[in-house]
Amino acid sequence: MLEIHSLVSGYGALTVLHDVSLSIGDREAVAIVGANGAGKTTLVRTICGLLRARSGRVLKNGVDISQTPTHDMADHRIAVVLENRRLFGELTVRENLLLAERRGRGARKVFDWADIYALFPMIEERLETPVNLLSGGQQQMVAIARALLLQPNLLIMDEPSTGLAPKVVKDILNVIKELRGRGMALLLVEQNVGIASAITDRAYVLALGRIEHEIQPGAWDTFLKDERLVKAYLGS
Amino acid sequence: MTLSLILQALQAGITNGFIYALVGMGLAVIFRGSRVINVMHGEFSVVGAMTTVLVLTAAKYPYWFAIIAGLLTGPAIGALIELTLVRPMIRQQATEDQFVLLTIGLERAIAASVLFFIGRDGHLLPAFGGDHVFIVFDVVIREHSLWLIAIAIIVVIALREFFRRTTLGLALTAASIDADGAATTGINVARMRTLTFVLGGLLGAIAGILITPLIAVDYTTGLPITLKGIAAAVLGGFTNPLGAVVGGLTLGIIESLVIVGVSSGYKDVLTFSILIAIMIFMPHGILGRGGRGGG
Repeated sequence: MLEIHSLVSGYGALTVLHDVSLSIGDREAVAIVGANGAGKTTLVRTICGLLRARSGRVLKNGVDISQTPTHDMADHRIAVVLENRRLFGELTVRENLLLAERRGRGARKVFDWADIYALFPMIEERLETPVNLLSGGQQQMVAIARALLLQPNLLIMDEPSTGLAPKVVKDILNVIKELRGRGMALLLVEQNVGIASAITDRAYVLALGRIEHEIQPGAWDTFLKDERLVKAYLGS
Repeated sequence: MTLSLILQALQAGITNGFIYALVGMGLAVIFRGSRVINVMHGEFSVVGAMTTVLVLTAAKYPYWFAIIAGLLTGPAIGALIELTLVRPMIRQQATEDQFVLLTIGLERAIAASVLFFIGRDGHLLPAFGGDHVFIVFDVVIREHSLWLIAIAIIVVIALREFFRRTTLGLALTAASIDADGAATTGINVARMRTLTFVLGGLLGAIAGILITPLIAVDYTTGLPITLKGIAAAVLGGFTNPLGAVVGGLTLGIIESLVIVGVSSGYKDVLTFSILIAIMIFMPHGILGRGGRGGG
């Protein structure tokens, strides 16, 4: 599904990611965990083309997408929900979704409006509401819905739980589980290992821009119980 | 000062106000889409009007054809500037002041080119509806003024509907609200920016062609048009293209009342003093901040 080989990336003179390699299989959910400043967001921005890699390759189903512009990622069935959601605040929920739907048209249709309403009943009720009048949790749902209308088979999410109430986080996790049930592959970047472990099969631990550790399938519990490891990599 | 004199002034103020509105809207569209304060904006009007003049008088084509030719220069120059100058500068992360320098340079260069290739003479275009006038309550209204106002209103409504109802208009707004959010939604942000220059250039050319039957255009006309347009746009809040309509009309009406009430010599002094006062008390423009207004 997604393969990353020896990715090097950064801003100006600053190199943030050093030789990062990872892979995600079909229908697999993988987390990237790490402390603040580990390079998680830089990794997301490099994968989706907002930041050009200095070297290394990103392959989606065998196709090199490291030079693909961000707005064409939908052609490779990749959608990303950036940190802080990055919605169009003055536009209504419907308009935000319409823009994605228009781009996702022509692709093999997996999600239509009815699917979106089924996943997020609140969206149907608030279609004509400007997005900046919604709560943080509702905005996160609109952001996920917007990504789904691009018809991806790989969803990349950067810190979807930040700043949300536990109840809302639970709702969003349920949606993600539902998506996984439909075969969506997931790359979840998350500082909160509790959340990451709840919905992913395995994980990579990113520290100072390097993959320092891999959490294999079924090994989440062992990792979380090992205080030394958790402290060393996540600083908490 | 008689009532008919005041009405006459209002008529002139509204006519000029719509020109300032069109220029201000173009500036606001470009500013919102690219954060560039386009000092050469008035040159869109000058080149549009001059091209119309040349195609009409030198090449002897029909007026409608000359107008279309003139209108097309705005989008063409806008696209050229964005693709060849603005885009590479954005890639190198130029700052807002560098873009102001760029557009000041372009303003001077285009004005000098007009002087070099066309000369010092002012040129007028034929008025729409000829020299026909209406007289209402002793107020003389040229038919052209009515055409100008009607066309400007149609342009304002069309622009508003374009931003509100078409997905392309929504995509332009989206790209200006959040570029990264737009890119991850599949919107080609760089192409949207080119489009804002195309749209801004078209609005500038429309303004130039509409005003030239009333005021002769020459190589010096561009900068004053830009300044009035900036005033209109700032009064309207600058990021809201429709705010520029309110700003432009306010500016035009104040200016014409100053001319009849005080003296045309003090026109700019008093007008801009009033504008400064408005900006002190309403720093986010007459319409205030927030709301989607034009988009």
